[in-house]
Amino acid sequence: MITTRDKILSAVTKPTRYTGGELNSVIKDGSASFVRFGFCFADIYEIAMSHLGLKILYHTLNERSDTYCERVFAPWTDMEDEMKKHGMRLFALESGDEVTHFDLLGFTLQYELCYSTIVNMLNLAEIPVLAKDRDETYPIICGGGPCAYNAEPVADIFDFFMMGEGEDIIHEVVDEYVKWKKSGKKNKRDYLEAIAEIEGVYVPSFYDVEYNDDNTVKSVTPNNPHAKARVRKRIMSDFASAYTPETIIVPFGEVVHDRVMLEIMRGCLRGCRFCQAGYIYRPLRERKAERLLGIAENLLTCSGYDEISLSSLSTSDYGSLKELTDGLLKITEEKKIGLSLPSLRIDNFSLELMEKVQKVRKTGITFAPEAGTQRLRDVINKNITEDDVLKSADMLFRGGWTTVKLYFMIGLPSETMDDVRGIAELAQKVLDVYFAVPKEERAKNINITVSTSSFVPKPFTAFQWAAQDTRDMLIEKQDELKKSIQSKRIRYNWHDNKTSYLEGVFARGDRRLCPVIIKAAENGCKFDAWGEHFKFDTWMDTFKEMGVDPDFYTTRERGYDEVLPWDHIDVGVTKSFLMRENEKAKRAETTANCRQKCAGCGAASFGAGVCHE
Amino acid sequence: MSDYILKYSRDERVKYISHLDFMRLFHRTIRRTGLNFVFSQGFNPHPIMTVAQPLSVGVTSDCEYMRVSFDCDLDADEIMSTINAALPPGYKILAAKKVHGKEIDLTKLDRAVYNVELEYEGSADVDALMAHDELIVPKKTKSGVKDSDIRPYIYSLEKTSDDGKTLTLTMCVAVGSAYNLKPQSVIDAMEKYIPNFRAGFMNVHRASMTCGGSEPL
Repeated sequence: MITTRDKILSAVTKPTRYTGGELNSVIKDGSASFVRFGFCFADIYEIAMSHLGLKILYHTLNERSDTYCERVFAPWTDMEDEMKKHGMRLFALESGDEVTHFDLLGFTLQYELCYSTIVNMLNLAEIPVLAKDRDETYPIICGGGPCAYNAEPVADIFDFFMMGEGEDIIHEVVDEYVKWKKSGKKNKRDYLEAIAEIEGVYVPSFYDVEYNDDNTVKSVTPNNPHAKARVRKRIMSDFASAYTPETIIVPFGEVVHDRVMLEIMRGCLRGCRFCQAGYIYRPLRERKAERLLGIAENLLTCSGYDEISLSSLSTSDYGSLKELTDGLLKITEEKKIGLSLPSLRIDNFSLELMEKVQKVRKTGITFAPEAGTQRLRDVINKNITEDDVLKSADMLFRGGWTTVKLYFMIGLPSETMDDVRGIAELAQKVLDVYFAVPKEERAKNINITVSTSSFVPKPFTAFQWAAQDTRDMLIEKQDELKKSIQSKRIRYNWHDNKTSYLEGVFARGDRRLCPVIIKAAENGCKFDAWGEHFKFDTWMDTFKEMGVDPDFYTTRERGYDEVLPWDHIDVGVTKSFLMRENEKAKRAETTANCRQKCAGCGAASFGAGVCHE
Repeated sequence: MSDYILKYSRDERVKYISHLDFMRLFHRTIRRTGLNFVFSQGFNPHPIMTVAQPLSVGVTSDCEYMRVSFDCDLDADEIMSTINAALPPGYKILAAKKVHGKEIDLTKLDRAVYNVELEYEGSADVDALMAHDELIVPKKTKSGVKDSDIRPYIYSLEKTSDDGKTLTLTMCVAVGSAYNLKPQSVIDAMEKYIPNFRAGFMNVHRASMTCGGSEPL
């Protein structure tokens, strides 16, 4: 039988993005499932399937007998064209059913530049984009993930957000949904009021936002007795024994992270002042090596993957790294499995470890000094010295490595042209270290790459008040850096500052951006994180069309007394701590990491992890 | 260490998997079974495994073959059931045989039978097409697209059903390294040589492959 599905899939690139049916995907009877849940990721399959949170929540939801959780991803543009041609709506991967009348759709908000794609997905599902326009026949639309902490720019689209880690809260909101559905789904408001009582649930329509004449936020006030004045994020206090899936889906096509990901810890103790992840995932919690080895062995066996990677924000800070890696090496050597160790600080231990792991091929090593001078590294609290970098480089070159990537940000608060030139100087010093190693002790063809991204101030960081550099300033700095790099052996890559600009608008945006996002999607914007689809001019025209000044959100420095659009969200880390950190940054004073000395950030109130070691 | 010939099928559910993705899928499947591939010697060792005639994306089949070496001495039935338990739904090993040397040479496969389901406009007189002495159509080769006479490589072509909009064909054509004829080329010839015939969408199923007139397994 020739089907429409065949005609569509034969006309698109990488059709296995849309077929489902992968090993370990969960197939249930849709009509027998009381709750149909669509786990949505507003990007294509290869990106979505690399997301660890999806793997966890998908399986934990499917362990419920009353719920069928399916994956719903953005179709690539060729697929979108075919779907429109054949009148096909957005569908779920497992059943192929359209999601238009699912019970719940949960979007994970991993980066700001996915917002227009969310709108596009809802349009493809023929679901009204604004929450207020959706009656009880449409799915309840919820969101979570890092951008949910300031999801104000998409607040009018979502029925509710979940703050923090999702393993428990997702079950609580589904439990309430089951009750509401059993009672006949009379009024969406009843459901939202019930879940507003759950810690971590934020129902944006239950809050009124007022603005001052200067466009800053005047107040955010609950308008419903069930809504809390401040919504506090959820964490898995007992992360060590928290749920991990027994299996993982094995994609047919190659995805970005095509391997077993072993989450060894959550949170980070470093306190880099620009890093949102470093603050919002606090406090640091670890899993025991013994449990991790069991998980690793099981996931490798059930997937057949030949590679495993450790997942954390800073692998070197894991307490029993030696015990863990010794155990993993035993497994990986026996089964001929590759082990990748991202976010590792270079020292004797890690170098020896990499020797053991890599054996033949010496792939590139990436350093992230983030800033070119010690002063600026102190400002951002990146506790890494020039000496650290050069010593590590010396070790690497003697060990036979020749490809080194140096990663920096430009546009950091207080940055001067001296700091920018410092990047080139540091790269030159790394190169000098290579030439100082005797010829017979180093490999040939040194290759140094300097990459810069543009700093975007994020909510819940010490720099949440900072002005973001204008695009002109960034271009000037990129040009200065290009000029300062002398050697032909040093290559310079820079990140496009247009996407950073838009990211900056949304990161610290408020609810007045929502109509702009919806309009931009109407004007053809989607996949903004994809260079070939990013339509910067359309975005700028749309801002003008909607009468919103994007610079208001980026290049303006905020005062401490300003009400920030996300002040009603409580991530544990306090605003007063962030102010103290910002003041220390201005004085270029560093802050010790959580294990050295508690800085009193506020995360200890969760009663877990490193704060109570 | 033993060599095996495996005959396997793939159905609708997995027909969009490319050859390269299938190779990776099969490697992972074997890892899950606990069987061990025999690896090639050399700087970059890879599992010893050869798929006889890679299948195009979108095509289903009941007759795929591969030759593979495992570091074990299991009999063919055990190999078959072990691998079947680990394969993703949609692939199935239909038969297996432990072989020595070249007793079965998959490189000698020379004919394939395809069932083609085709939407069309006009009328499709297949017998008239087969009455031509030559059928010249553009055909992709390693050095670009070239005109080629495919008539000698169509061993049979039969219409098995026709409702005026969709017809089904069964064709036996050349396969292999000497000359490989894809069903699409036969449809191209129908469009060129049958007056007023317009081909639409088609589904292809590979029903059997033979060497010297018989199936390897």
